[in-house]
Amino acid sequence: MSNAYIDKFPAEAKVVKAAFYSSFLALALGGVFGVIQTLHRTDIYRFIDSADYYTVLTAHGVFMVITFTIFFLVGVFTWAVTTSLDRGVEDIRFTWSWVGLMTIGTVMAGVAILAGFVDSIDISASVLFTFYAPLQAHPLFYLGLVLFVVGTWVAGADWFRSWWAWKKENPDARIPLPTFMVLTTMIMWYIATMGVATSILVFLLPWSLGWIETVNPLLTRTLFWFFGHPVVYFWLMPAYLLWYTMLPKFAGGKLFSDPLARVGFVLFLLLSTPVGIHHQYLDPGIAEGFKFIAMTNTMFLLLPSFLTAFTVVASIEHGARQRGGTGYFSWLKSLPWRDPVFAGMALAGLLFAAAGFSGMVNAGMNINYLVHNSLWVVGHFHLTVGTAVALTFMAVSYWFIPQVTGKELWNRSVALIQVVLWFIGMTFMTNSMHRAGLIGMPRRTAEPQYTGFEFETAVGSVGELNAQIALGGVLLTLSLVLFFANIIGTAFGSRSDNLPDNGYAEALSGSDDAPRVLDNLKLWTAIAVVLVIIAYSLPLMSIVDRGGLFGPDITAFPANLESVRFLAFAVEHLGTAALESAGTLAWNTLPEVIR
Amino acid sequence: MRISKAGLLVVLAFLAPVLVELRTVLAWVNIELSVLETAIIGGIIIAVILVWAFLPENGDEEGAERDVSNSEL
Ligand code: HEM
Ligand SMILES: [Cu+2]
Repeated sequence: MSNAYIDKFPAEAKVVKAAFYSSFLALALGGVFGVIQTLHRTDIYRFIDSADYYTVLTAHGVFMVITFTIFFLVGVFTWAVTTSLDRGVEDIRFTWSWVGLMTIGTVMAGVAILAGFVDSIDISASVLFTFYAPLQAHPLFYLGLVLFVVGTWVAGADWFRSWWAWKKENPDARIPLPTFMVLTTMIMWYIATMGVATSILVFLLPWSLGWIETVNPLLTRTLFWFFGHPVVYFWLMPAYLLWYTMLPKFAGGKLFSDPLARVGFVLFLLLSTPVGIHHQYLDPGIAEGFKFIAMTNTMFLLLPSFLTAFTVVASIEHGARQRGGTGYFSWLKSLPWRDPVFAGMALAGLLFAAAGFSGMVNAGMNINYLVHNSLWVVGHFHLTVGTAVALTFMAVSYWFIPQVTGKELWNRSVALIQVVLWFIGMTFMTNSMHRAGLIGMPRRTAEPQYTGFEFETAVGSVGELNAQIALGGVLLTLSLVLFFANIIGTAFGSRSDNLPDNGYAEALSGSDDAPRVLDNLKLWTAIAVVLVIIAYSLPLMSIVDRGGLFGPDITAFPANLESVRFLAFAVEHLGTAALESAGTLAWNTLPEVIR
Repeated sequence: MRISKAGLLVVLAFLAPVLVELRTVLAWVNIELSVLETAIIGGIIIAVILVWAFLPENGDEEGAERDVSNSEL
C-alpha cells in the first residue's frame, strides 16, 4: 500500500484526473492547430485556405490558454487544498457540478469555433481568444464562455468552503501555504472576471443575439484587458504554487521562506488587475496619463517577480546542497536532472527569465510602440504561458498522473527527452519570433509578407527566420507527441503500490515567521478593490463619455449599417422618383415649348 | 564520465539558446555568421563538451558528486 493522493482521497483523485485529462485533450487540439498555423504563415506547408486562418488561430488560442491551462489549474488547486488542509472536499457532488459546468461551457465554445470550418453550418466564432468587438461570434461561443467562467467561480467557492470548514476546527492555525496561494489567486480571479463578465453579459452576448445594435468597441476592449492581464496571473500562479511548494521537494530540499512566498502572492493579488491598460498603449481614445499609471503599476510587478525568482532559486540551491552539492556553481551538478519533473520545471523557469526581459520591453510605453502587435509579442508569450506555464504543467504531470491514477509513469527517459525537446523547440521558435517582430513582421496574419515591400533583417534573411520558426514548431509538436504517448502509456498501465508519497515541501522559515496580517484576506481584498477603482474608474468613465455605453449616439449621424442601408434606399428612391417626375414634366412640357 | 548523462543532456540543451543568440550578438561587433557557420561552430562546441564529458575522471572528489546527481531523488 502506498501513500499516494489516490489512496487518501480516492473520490477527489477522480475529479483531479478528469480535470487533467480534459486539459490534455485541449492541449492536443491546440497543438494540432499550432503546427498548422506555424507551417502556414511561414509558407512552408499550406493546406488550409488563408481565409480559414483566423478560425485556426482562435482554436489554438482558446484551447491553449483558456481550456488547457484553466482545466489543469483547477485540478492542481483541488489537489493543493485537499492535501494541505488534509481533508476531502465538503460535498463531492458540488465539486462535480463545477467540473460539469466547465465541460459544458468548453464544448459549447469549442463547437462554435470549430463550426467555422464547415461552410454549411451557419455558426462561427473566429474572434481570436481576445474576442472583443468589432469581431462578433455566434451567441453559443459567448454562452459557453459564461458557463466556463461560472464553473471556475463555483470551483473557487468549493475551495473557500473547505477552508472555512477547516478554520472552524483549527481557529488559531495559520492557513497552510498551498491553500493560502489558492485562495489569494481565486480572489484575484473573482475581481478580474468582473470585467469579462460585464463585457459578455451586458454587451457582446446581447449584441450577437441582436438585442442591441451596436457596442462601444473601445469599452469592450478595455473590459477584456481588465480581465486579460490578470488572466495571465491566473495561469502563472499555479505554476508559482508548484515552483514554491513542489520544486524544492523535487530538488531534495525545503522551501527557503514561507513568509516571502505569502508576500509574493499578496502582491500579485494587489497588482494583477490595475495594469490591464498596458495592453492598450496603442489604443486611441485612452489618455496617455492613464496609460502611464498602468505602466507604473506594471513596473511594481517586478517586485514579486524577483521575490519569486530569488526564493525559488534559493530553495533549489538548498536542495542541491542537501544532496551533497558544493561550490559557487558546481552545486548545479548535484541537482536531480535525471528526474523529468525537476528538469522540466527548472528549464521552464529558465526560459521564464528570458520572458521577463522581453516582457520589460512590452511594458515600457515608449518601446512598446516598436513591438506592438508584431510577432515579438507572440514570441514573448510562448515563453511565459507557452513554456513557464505549459512546460511546468507537463513536467509536473509526470508526478501528478501517477498520484491520481495510482499507476507508475510509463517511461521516465521519454519524459526527460520530452521536456528537453520542448525547451529546445521553444528556444528556436521564440528567438526567431522576437527577431521577426523587431523588423516589424505582424502577428495574427496568414500572409505576413506584402507585395512591393521587403523586411530588412539585422542578421540573416526573412527566409531563415521563417525556417527557424517552423523548425521550432515541428520540434514542439514532436515533444507533444512524446508527452501524449507517455500519458496514454501510463493510463493503460496497471495499479502500482510503489508510488511516491503525496505531499509538498516543508519550509526552512515556516509560517510562524510570517506576520499574521498576511493571512488577513479581507484586508488584501479591500486594498485590491480600491487599487482597481483608482486605476479604472476614470478611464472607463472617459471611454463611455466619448464613445457612448452602447456606441456613439446614432441619432445625430447615421453611423450604423442599418441606417446607412436605409439612407441609401431613401436616396435611391427619392432620387429616382424625382428624376422620373422631372422626366415626365419635361416630356409634357417639351411639346408645348416646341409648339 | 565527468557528468551524469542527464546533466549532459541538459547542458547540451542549454547550448541551443546560447548558439542561437550568439549569432545575433556577434552581428553587433560586425561578425556576420551564416546559418552553416553557426551550425559548424555549434557542432564543434558539442564535440568539445562530449569529449570533456566522457574523459575519465581524475579525482575521487568529483566521483562523489556524480553519484549524488545520478541518484533519482
Ligand atoms: C506545438 C506548440 C505550439 C506552436 C507550434 C505554436 C505556434 C503558434 C504560432 C505560430 C502563433 C502565432 C500565429 C499568428 O500570430 O499569426 C501562435 C499563437 C498563439 N499561441 Fe501558440 N504555439 C504552440 C504552443 C502554444 C502553447 C502551449 C500556448 C499556451 C499555453 C500557446 C498560446 C498561443 C496564443 C495565446 C496565441 C495567440 C493567438 C492569437 O493571436 O489570437 N501556444 N502559436
Ligand atoms: Cu499584461
